[in-house]
Amino acid sequence: MSTVVVTAAGIVSPLGRGLAETTSSLLAGRDCVTPVTRFDVSRCKSSTAGQAPESLLDPALNRKEQRLHPAARMMVAAVRELREQDPGFAPTFCVIGTTSGGMSFGEAFFRSLSKTEGRPPRAAWLANYSPQKPVLDAMEAAGFSSPSEIIANACASGTNAIGHAFSLIQGGLCESVLCGGYDVISELVFAGFDSLQASTAEKCRPFDKDRTGLVLGEGAALLALESLDSAQRRGAPVLAKVAGYGISTDNHHLTQPHPSGEGPYKAMSRALASSGLDASDIDYINAHGTATPFNDATEGLAISRLFPGARVSSTKAMMGHSLGAAGAIEAVFCILALQEQFLPPNIHFRAPDPGWDMDIIANEAREGELRCALSNSFGFGGTNASIILTT
Amino acid sequence: MAAYIQGMSWLTPLGSGLEDVWSRLLEGEAAKVAEIGKHFYIPLSPECQECVAALGKNPRLRRSSAISYFTAWAGKTALENAGVAGVNGGRIALVSAVSSGGVIYTRRFYEGIVEKGTASPLLFPETVYNAPASHLAALLGIDGVTYTLAGDSSVGISAIKLAAQLLETNQADHCLVVGAEEVDWVLCEAYRRWRLTTSKPEITLHAKHPAGALLAEGAAALVLGREGPVRLRRIHGGAPFFSRAGARAAISQVYSDLADGEISFVVGSANGSFVDNAEAAALGEKFPGAPVLSPKAALGDALGASALIQTVAGALALGKHPSVLVSSVGFNHQAAGLTLETS
Repeated sequence: MSTVVVTAAGIVSPLGRGLAETTSSLLAGRDCVTPVTRFDVSRCKSSTAGQAPESLLDPALNRKEQRLHPAARMMVAAVRELREQDPGFAPTFCVIGTTSGGMSFGEAFFRSLSKTEGRPPRAAWLANYSPQKPVLDAMEAAGFSSPSEIIANACASGTNAIGHAFSLIQGGLCESVLCGGYDVISELVFAGFDSLQASTAEKCRPFDKDRTGLVLGEGAALLALESLDSAQRRGAPVLAKVAGYGISTDNHHLTQPHPSGEGPYKAMSRALASSGLDASDIDYINAHGTATPFNDATEGLAISRLFPGARVSSTKAMMGHSLGAAGAIEAVFCILALQEQFLPPNIHFRAPDPGWDMDIIANEAREGELRCALSNSFGFGGTNASIILTT
Repeated sequence: MAAYIQGMSWLTPLGSGLEDVWSRLLEGEAAKVAEIGKHFYIPLSPECQECVAALGKNPRLRRSSAISYFTAWAGKTALENAGVAGVNGGRIALVSAVSSGGVIYTRRFYEGIVEKGTASPLLFPETVYNAPASHLAALLGIDGVTYTLAGDSSVGISAIKLAAQLLETNQADHCLVVGAEEVDWVLCEAYRRWRLTTSKPEITLHAKHPAGALLAEGAAALVLGREGPVRLRRIHGGAPFFSRAGARAAISQVYSDLADGEISFVVGSANGSFVDNAEAAALGEKFPGAPVLSPKAALGDALGASALIQTVAGALALGKHPSVLVSSVGFNHQAAGLTLETS
């Protein structure tokens, strides 16, 4: 079986654009959650989100690219970042995760049909609404022409995309795969999480005893995955290895995990088994950690059972939950942690829950020796995915 | 390692019986068309409504949209057709293909926000693309590998490719692939303004100036395994095209990559839109003289379900033809295809 490596990574998130800016934000524990101004949130309990500022998007976008959906513009920026790091990367396949594609253009179209708005519908909204379009835009910008798959496994999509890419290369079915995820906040999704009372009006406090819910985020991250043999042949840089992938489906409820934590436990166990590592080899866990009572309860239980005493943080407190992008963004965070030998902080943390055996990286980044990191993503529909990255 | 079709099902505007719908397609029968919403037409599918009624008492589905019922019906029926028993404990993966997904609940949810200022917590969870797969996994007890793929009309081929990859990398022993779609007036409105569908109640294939397709609802499912009566000879996961003008080159590339043996029958994706002429030109160049059946002429274009419906038709065509090409040109993502032969 082939060893799978990451040769480059492009990222745009509220924490910044590119690896250097992102590392700096992670080390500083920057709180990038701000009031939402793109749409009316006056009827929602929550009013904040992690938003990627317009200034982060590529200033070199051509006229056609400037008309694209913000999700596509993030994807274009991310793929250009990736290409700068590894110009020789030529994927034979592409797997990208998302949950809502260009949803805000769909919203604009619907509003244009309502009697009160009076704004004529634009063809560009329709053409740029579908979830495959930002992927095609990024591929076109990079000159890639491989087949592509759009994984829509809710909030696990980004990790699923990396995991599937890993499986294809490890199994010898592909040599190089572009993978990752993207999502941009939209009114519909914002109101949706608010309606489920999953969002908080306060700070997002993952794994805190008094956590009150999630804040949403957005961003895009792309990773260049390749077999080690192929990367070495062309002298490509190696940022990290992808060592394992696990997936499980929790059938308890469409939006709530089984209280036992069995779904996350199975995903993490399967990732470990796939990597050939022991639980004690995992130096850091970037948790799904949405800060909802249900998610953190089950994930905390599962981590405590499989990795007692593990060093854990959820970076969602800094930038919100970016849904289909989260797994890809957090995989990049893990790569940066492995490269720079630090543990990203779980900010806004006040009090631990006595039911869990975890060492939360509370409020400030820590230095630490890291060789293996595990990243979790769980989603609606009971989709659970875990990947393991190593130096 | 090859993948094989072990069982299949479809739920179409012409019915749900495999042989019955197939013979009606061969006879050139088209589904009756019904008007929905604001003067849009879709092929009428009474059996789709019957399947909703038949599954309606299931607690997991009681709040779900039509697409989840279609998915559940097609998935369960294909497993019965394959004779694959004992899902619980078995290594069965699920791959779901959708294009617009739960568009009815998505529209209703957003309508509530825009017109009433209310957001329903009952509707929102059903708007996610993977809601149908989640319900089916729960009904069948699948607790391992579950994927939902989104895309255009070619996404069903991508889903079959993913399923074959799961078998090849030993992540599953069987893979249930389901494609489904539901139709809402807002979807019809969007596609019409996108100039991909017609506002008339019928379509014309291969017109010089294509008027557009008719959207349709429905589902189809395949059970794939490592042996079975139909062999998937080759699967092309997709050649992207970045504008409509690029569709012909993309499908030509797919045919070149798939052309490793005789093709005696083609199940095409012509639907009344720009797709028709792109596909016809490439077929004429690569497979001149091969007979072509375009099921979308009779059934409409069921988007996420359509390539799986075509593949079921292709498998049924093997009764008279030794090798079949299933060709799929999507609206705005990829061209894709696969070849089938009897084992």
